[in-house]
Amino acid sequence: MRFLHNVNIDFLTKRKFFYILSSVLIVIGFSTFLIKGITLGIDFKGGTEVLVRFADNVDIQAIRSAMDKSGLIGSEIKTMGDEKDILIRTAQEGEGSAVAETIKNSLKTNFPNNSFEVLRIDNVGPKIGKELRISAIYATIFSLIAILIYLAFRFEFVYALGAVIALFHDVLITIGMVAIFGALFPALNLELSQGMVAAFLTLIGFSSNDTVIVFDRIRENIKLYKNEDILRVMNKSINTTLSRTIITSGTVFMTVLILFLFGGEVNRGFAFTFLIGVITGTYSSVYIASAFVVDIKKAQLKRKSVRTGRTAVSKA
Amino acid sequence: MKKNRFRIILTLLFVFLSFYFLYPTYKDYQYNKEIEKLKTADDSLAFFEKNGADILNVRDKKIKLGLDLQGGMYVIMEVDVEKLLQDLAKRKDDTFSKILNESVETSKTSDENLIDIFDTRLKEKGLSLKAYYGEIRDDDSKIKKDLSTEVENAIDRAIQVVRNRIDQYGVSEPVIQKKGSNRLLVELPGVSNVNDVRKLLQGTALLEFKLLIDPQIEVKVMQKIDTYLAGGNLDSLMEADSLSEITKQDSTMKKDSTQIISKEEKKNDTSVTKKEKKDTSKNITETDSVNKNDSNISSDTSLIPEDTTSQMSEEEFQSKHPWFFLVRPNQYQDGTVSWFVREKDKPQVTRLLARKEIQDLIPGDMELLWGNRSDFVDKGERIFQIYVVKKEPELTGGVVSDARSNIDPTSNSPVVYMEMNSEGAAEWARITGANLHKRIAIVLDHVVYSAPVVRSKITGGNSQIEGMANIQEAKLLEIVLKAGALPAPLKIIEERTVGPSLGEDSIKKGLYSSLIAVLLVALFMIVYYHFGGGVADMALLFNMLFVLGIMASFKATLTLPGIAGLILTIGMAVDSNVLIYERIREELATGKPMRTSIEIGYKKAFSAILDANVTSIITGIILYQFGTGPIQGFALTLIIGLTANLFTAIIITRIVFDILTEKGKTKINFG
Repeated sequence: MRFLHNVNIDFLTKRKFFYILSSVLIVIGFSTFLIKGITLGIDFKGGTEVLVRFADNVDIQAIRSAMDKSGLIGSEIKTMGDEKDILIRTAQEGEGSAVAETIKNSLKTNFPNNSFEVLRIDNVGPKIGKELRISAIYATIFSLIAILIYLAFRFEFVYALGAVIALFHDVLITIGMVAIFGALFPALNLELSQGMVAAFLTLIGFSSNDTVIVFDRIRENIKLYKNEDILRVMNKSINTTLSRTIITSGTVFMTVLILFLFGGEVNRGFAFTFLIGVITGTYSSVYIASAFVVDIKKAQLKRKSVRTGRTAVSKA
Repeated sequence: MKKNRFRIILTLLFVFLSFYFLYPTYKDYQYNKEIEKLKTADDSLAFFEKNGADILNVRDKKIKLGLDLQGGMYVIMEVDVEKLLQDLAKRKDDTFSKILNESVETSKTSDENLIDIFDTRLKEKGLSLKAYYGEIRDDDSKIKKDLSTEVENAIDRAIQVVRNRIDQYGVSEPVIQKKGSNRLLVELPGVSNVNDVRKLLQGTALLEFKLLIDPQIEVKVMQKIDTYLAGGNLDSLMEADSLSEITKQDSTMKKDSTQIISKEEKKNDTSVTKKEKKDTSKNITETDSVNKNDSNISSDTSLIPEDTTSQMSEEEFQSKHPWFFLVRPNQYQDGTVSWFVREKDKPQVTRLLARKEIQDLIPGDMELLWGNRSDFVDKGERIFQIYVVKKEPELTGGVVSDARSNIDPTSNSPVVYMEMNSEGAAEWARITGANLHKRIAIVLDHVVYSAPVVRSKITGGNSQIEGMANIQEAKLLEIVLKAGALPAPLKIIEERTVGPSLGEDSIKKGLYSSLIAVLLVALFMIVYYHFGGGVADMALLFNMLFVLGIMASFKATLTLPGIAGLILTIGMAVDSNVLIYERIREELATGKPMRTSIEIGYKKAFSAILDANVTSIITGIILYQFGTGPIQGFALTLIIGLTANLFTAIIITRIVFDILTEKGKTKINFG
């Protein structure tokens, strides 16, 4: 079996169109992110969160009024999966899990006929949330820098820069998409948790992985076809690695999709984010990383030829 | 060929190591299944007796499940600096409270620490830390440094107190870890009674001084338990065993354990006398160290009466003296007795002591207390001591105002100085005066840390404890004494509890999705690359085996995100083989023979595989550095998976192809 065997697609000539496409996606996504934001999970916001499983289905409104009665006004209440698993979250954070106790007691008194089991309690102080936010940002920046350094050693600096710009692009697009999907489909329960940060870092790893494979072939082909136009060499390289790209991205996408579908609520945010990451990571290897290198190389060539042209003129 | 042989040997070695490290995990699973089958308490007692050591051993070496998978509690506590500042202040007034409150408010939004903020605020008001904490001649920066040191000391005390209590509470595999300079991370797997645990973690430590019971009475109580457990008649024992008879048996114990001990004791005694000359009125000497020294060299039998061991086999002794088999007496020349329990027997002794019939055998004014986690070892096993003490404490730790460990310059041995307030000092003088040459146990939260002998009446409240084996031990005693004197206030800043059913749910879902992922990926590879795909699938299985094996060897924890990492590894692991096979196909397409194509394919794909994996591993490592708990689990499986992949995808698959081509096979199906 062969996928995309002996194809010859001109990927890079139309790169300006994809620059615009990416920019539009980033602008739309990021403005959604700025306006709507991504719901901060308990890890980052702090507060108390209790996940309970009732024996029978319960009405969310009834829980809300029960919480209001107990003084936990404005608590966020939603179902997780089905009508039995209820997540109650409040910004209030007391010593230990005093707030969780209030929630439990309130549920006990208000739903005497519907027994429940506490599946999970999370209580995060405001300080911790702030520290996690900072370390998440640091982690992302550090990985970008580390990859830039490693690739600069293994390839020319232009390539390393192209790869990191592509990674940056992936992160921005993914943030935007998560914001859009989060706003459109609240049932996905997309919120910024530690798991999602892990997804961002993993997608950085995956995307650079994919870019490196394409670059590796370009590195090899440039030596083979010294006199060919850089754009043609790069197109050729992308085409020869295309089947591998499709297969690997395909298997990774498939496994993550399985995780998304069957991996449980805890892994869902991670899986969804990474699914988007797989798509944008694959796309950016070609249309951002490689395209960037083509443009820089072309600019360098032009400058060089202008310079040689000038000396020729002076000689004449 | 030679190259191949080396590869094969390496592969077999890794396979062997993986199985070796995974065996305890399997064994633990087997034990758990058997334990579930046991019905009665006696059955399980017998089962533990038979397999106890091994159960603990495999439990220690198995792959552990994270709290998110087995349920439990994760707590991060922080030293309450505000409370500590209040407790430490020598003078307090309204301005002090007002400024401190303001500083606390500021610190909630600031990155600066509370001590710095408080200092700045005081200075703004024209005051200084000196006014509340120091003497006139102290300078501010020194006081600030001292206060910061206090915060760090407080966390050390807290760790000791918390560890002690968790050990007593009986949580298996707890994690207690210092985080940064003023935080404490506690992980308690399987704990569901959250309120109990919270009390356990936060309650103030209770330091008590308790008198050890007279050795003769002590022996009698222990004999009663022994006789009861051996099924003997207690009434007859009460009548027949007069005190003299016990002492007689007692003397036989003495005979066996003395020889080397007396030497040690002598040595220790001389050092004590020297000390006493120097500092007659303030001296307590530890005798624990004597026991410790002797037990270092004591053989198995030295803890048991010699006449009995010479006549009885271990089994006989066990059936005739079940209690003394577990709790081995050791008597010294001065008539005192120590009781030793091996670590593997500790759970059983604890279970026995909890039984009501046994409780009833111990007089109401006495209690049996464990010694702290001892660091002396016999035949590779820790030995714990049991102390018989008076239930009513002579004094509680609130009266201790300070404690310092030090090396005594004249004798070069570790000492701990203990100061008491005036009220405590008066009591202490009375107690020490009335109990000369007796031993007083220093008890923190029901665990005995030391039981020094009173050498003289101590007036003035300044005592000196000596005889510790090393400075670490002295340091520990200092921490213990201070824990009672100056509580380390802790507040919980993060607490996560996972119920057991959520964990089970997660395990099921995790395994289920891993299985589907493996099957689908494996199937795809065979469909797409035929024979080559099959070889890649084999490499994938090796990869999974190695990942789990390496995790077991690291004693790593498997979390739900960790399983996600494993699933992701499955997806990414085939990438290397895809790269290689695509290259081989390319070479074959140019008409090269099979063998050359394979060789070139592997060679050309290598740089891509290496660079691609390294960048992914880099992000994995950074994720591990920044993440907490479960996320680290994800990063870890991913890092291990990608690293193992470099070996399985490149080396192991190559073995297969090399063998085939060497056999002259010119057609291998790569789809």
